[in-house]
Amino acid sequence: MAQSRFSLDLARPSRQHWLGYFLLAPAVILIAAIIIYPLVISVDLSFQNVGIARLDQPRRPFTTDNYARLFTSPDFWNACWVTLKLILVVTTACFALGLGTALLVNNRFKGRSIARLLVAMPWAVPEVIATVIFAWMFDSSFGLFNWLFITTGLADKPINWFSETGPAFAVVATTMVWKGYPFVSIMILAGLQSIPDDFYAAARVDGANAWQRLVNITLPSLRPVIGVTMILVMLWVFRDFSIIYVLTGGGPLKATQTLSIMTYEQAFSFFRMGYASAIGVVTLVICVIAAKLMMSRAPENL
Amino acid sequence: MMKHFTVRSLGSAAMAGVAAISLTLGASPALAQTKTLKFVSWQKDERGVGDWWASVIKAFEEKNPGVRIEWTKVERGAYADTMTTLFAGGKPPEIVHLASFEFQKFADQGWLEDLGPYIKSANLDLTDWAGQSACVWKGKTVCTMMLYFGNLFAWNEELLKKEGLSVPTNYAEYIAAARKLTKDTNGDNIPDQFGTGHETKGGGGQYLSELMNYTLDAGGRWTNDAGKVTINTPQMIEGLSRWKDVVKNSLTPRDLSAGEVRQMFADGRIAMKLDGPWLYPIIQKGKAKDQIKIGPVPFKPPMGGSSNILGMASEIPADAKKLVWDFIAIATSDTFQTSYATLANSTPPSPRAKTDAAKVTTPHFDMLVDMAKAASKAGVDRIPKGLELNYNEFAKMVMEESQRMIIQDLDPKTVAATMQQKAEAIQKQ
Amino acid sequence: MKPRILTQLFLYAAVLVTCAFLIFPIYWLVVTALSQPDQLRQLPPRFWPADPNWSVFSKILGERPIGLWLANSALAAFGAVTISMVVSVLAGYSLSRFRVRGGQSLGLFILTSKMLPATLLVIPLFGIFRMTGLIGSLWSIIFAHATLIIPFTTWMLKGYFDTIPRELEQAAMVDGCSPLGALFRVILPVSAPGLAATALYGFVLSWSDYAFARTFLTNAQNNWTANLGITTMKGEYISNWADISAASILIALPILAIYLFLERYLVGGLTAGSDK
Repeated sequence: MAQSRFSLDLARPSRQHWLGYFLLAPAVILIAAIIIYPLVISVDLSFQNVGIARLDQPRRPFTTDNYARLFTSPDFWNACWVTLKLILVVTTACFALGLGTALLVNNRFKGRSIARLLVAMPWAVPEVIATVIFAWMFDSSFGLFNWLFITTGLADKPINWFSETGPAFAVVATTMVWKGYPFVSIMILAGLQSIPDDFYAAARVDGANAWQRLVNITLPSLRPVIGVTMILVMLWVFRDFSIIYVLTGGGPLKATQTLSIMTYEQAFSFFRMGYASAIGVVTLVICVIAAKLMMSRAPENL
Repeated sequence: MMKHFTVRSLGSAAMAGVAAISLTLGASPALAQTKTLKFVSWQKDERGVGDWWASVIKAFEEKNPGVRIEWTKVERGAYADTMTTLFAGGKPPEIVHLASFEFQKFADQGWLEDLGPYIKSANLDLTDWAGQSACVWKGKTVCTMMLYFGNLFAWNEELLKKEGLSVPTNYAEYIAAARKLTKDTNGDNIPDQFGTGHETKGGGGQYLSELMNYTLDAGGRWTNDAGKVTINTPQMIEGLSRWKDVVKNSLTPRDLSAGEVRQMFADGRIAMKLDGPWLYPIIQKGKAKDQIKIGPVPFKPPMGGSSNILGMASEIPADAKKLVWDFIAIATSDTFQTSYATLANSTPPSPRAKTDAAKVTTPHFDMLVDMAKAASKAGVDRIPKGLELNYNEFAKMVMEESQRMIIQDLDPKTVAATMQQKAEAIQKQ
Repeated sequence: MKPRILTQLFLYAAVLVTCAFLIFPIYWLVVTALSQPDQLRQLPPRFWPADPNWSVFSKILGERPIGLWLANSALAAFGAVTISMVVSVLAGYSLSRFRVRGGQSLGLFILTSKMLPATLLVIPLFGIFRMTGLIGSLWSIIFAHATLIIPFTTWMLKGYFDTIPRELEQAAMVDGCSPLGALFRVILPVSAPGLAATALYGFVLSWSDYAFARTFLTNAQNNWTANLGITTMKGEYISNWADISAASILIALPILAIYLFLERYLVGGLTAGSDK
């Protein structure tokens, strides 16, 4: 007891202690078992010509064919392009709408808490259910959107939302923005609340108008939160499976096939798990590099 | 104090959760003491044939007390992928139900039990069993054919009358009628009545069946009898142009699943429909039930072929195999083949099935038999010869190239050439 | 004073429009569920059904084991969140308070694993669960969801613990509290909002999963989660938007209820780690 008290002085410059390791151990063991080990298997699979992964069978000979095939496949480059487009569209829209909404409900007005509750609600709606809603609203024959577009004159004939490439992409992007941007609002709202009031008071004394206050105080103070949030949104789009898979399955003509969908399709529709693992590994590497690049501009604690 | 309380309750909630999970997970083996056979099927919620399967299950469970059949539905669009995952994951359903165009891959992996010995010892006579020859894979009988069908033609008499149209008897009349019948009925510029109805999204297999209505009538075939790809022929090009015409001009509602299309037809929003015998029970529950008439398909030969098969997983214990065979025996028995005609309103494959009762409940039953015969005579099948093993990939390719033809407005001639080339590449793999 | 009122009016209008846009899809789901199936295939659409069909809910509850699906989802989420929270509280505290050799690299690894695509992880997990016979068992998705949740919860909690002044535990230890005691009696109580937000976040992650459930549970009807169950309702032969919508509402309700209950913790808890 006495000993532990001695070494548990948390103020000591080097706070090394067995307790630190002890507390970390469960996480390390679990992460090793359910993340690191599978990851090692994935990388290993990506260097084999494997159809269906069976761990109880001897591994196949080492080959880099999967990667060679990947980089020469137009489908892979198409998937990269689709992923990039989707990230740009969804992240930008989420940022613009999220910031606007957060600034809006950060004002003082009656019913503010209810408004905050409502604007964040889509975040809690499961993705599969979001796809049910939007698949029906975008129905090509009797959907609400086609009716709306035609009665308002935005379109002169019904749009075939799921059998044309541009519209299908728009459906996926719209669903993702609806589902994703409330999270951005929540995060930015929290960031707004942590900006001290005196900042604004001082600015008002200096005669700054609302726009100047936004540009000179609000946005700079929000930068860390925005950085982190945007990385999280980007990662979410990068990895998303259910929205795209349930809405379009990656089609038509691979117009909505992201790297994530391509990985799954190769693994569980065509049963080329070695090749699929190669796509997955490349996706992970791209993710890490992209996040690192963005993080050098954002705070280090993502 | 308040915060203490919150943490405690979080903690105890967590404990309760762990306890609940271990209870539930621990309890499942105990429950599993009655033997369970798994049976996965896409036909579970289907009117007609779904009821028939339920009756087979009931008879089986009555005959084998203590054995329960766990019947799971998997949607058609994801069926082949899901079943492969189950087999690959080492947890196949004991009773295997597959579409006749997808079982070959499973048989080739050795996942389907050779039924030959069982058939022999049970003295099951499969001569003249419709479509059964397709079930022989590399010399072994790996399944029993559950349905060999021919398409029927259904039309909404009232809608046709309103336009002054008579029932089409060939493609030219059919397409002219379809154009006339596709229109906006309430003046909002959105077509809400369609000449015909096809599924244009979903799995490759379904897409191919819809498309083949037109290519067959134009005289086109995917492959010839020797298994050589014959897509780049004038007949196939004509067939593809017809399909493009129908879809591109939205003579069919777009982007709907087969189920939605059938429902719309039954509710009177679609004027004409080419479909299998399973359409009839759906019509019976629809709003336009009294306006719909059924007759022979105006195309020659009608689309048709083998539909679905029943088999047994090979990697299961011997006692389970016995039970599965018992299930198959019930399903193929004369009694249940006879009830297949009445309950599922479809043509049973067994030559011993008595169809008199069915002719009462299904007035067009003789025509169904004729259509199946016509399809069979013309050698029509959904699986092209020489592409059985790669059917999944082939069907996905045809669907994608057809979609490309429609989206990018390509010349069917070029599309046929591309398909020919890609099909040959798939065949060579 | 006048411009003030104008701005206020404008503000209310803007808030109303924003809320309406966000909530409309949910409202439309309700309208769809309550409509008679054949009314849905009619244009112009009705913005409130003439004769709301409330019995759709009891009908769908009778046809589909939605209660069971929900219970499975809840069990999976509870299991995954419990495992993740226990592990993450300890690890987050350790990373926040102790200088552990390798802690830095572990932290980096956890960061990286946030970027792991589920569709990559699902392949080796499929092999592992196949070997251990866990395919079809709820444990498979409990572990699979833990892989999604742990990286997030560990970092959120580390960030949260960082904001708690060290003096708190020091004071407790001076009073004779053991270090673990300090964690449980002092730090955790103060962190209740952070814990709640983190757990809610994990819960939503697990509840949203479709990829893992679809791959591991399809063959085990009794273990289907809500998301998996609902996608099986899109049949080939009959597809009824009213039924699917009604089932969707029933499935979304529990998570929305939890959200409404814990929302006030969410804003503070989620960002405590990142807005320094």
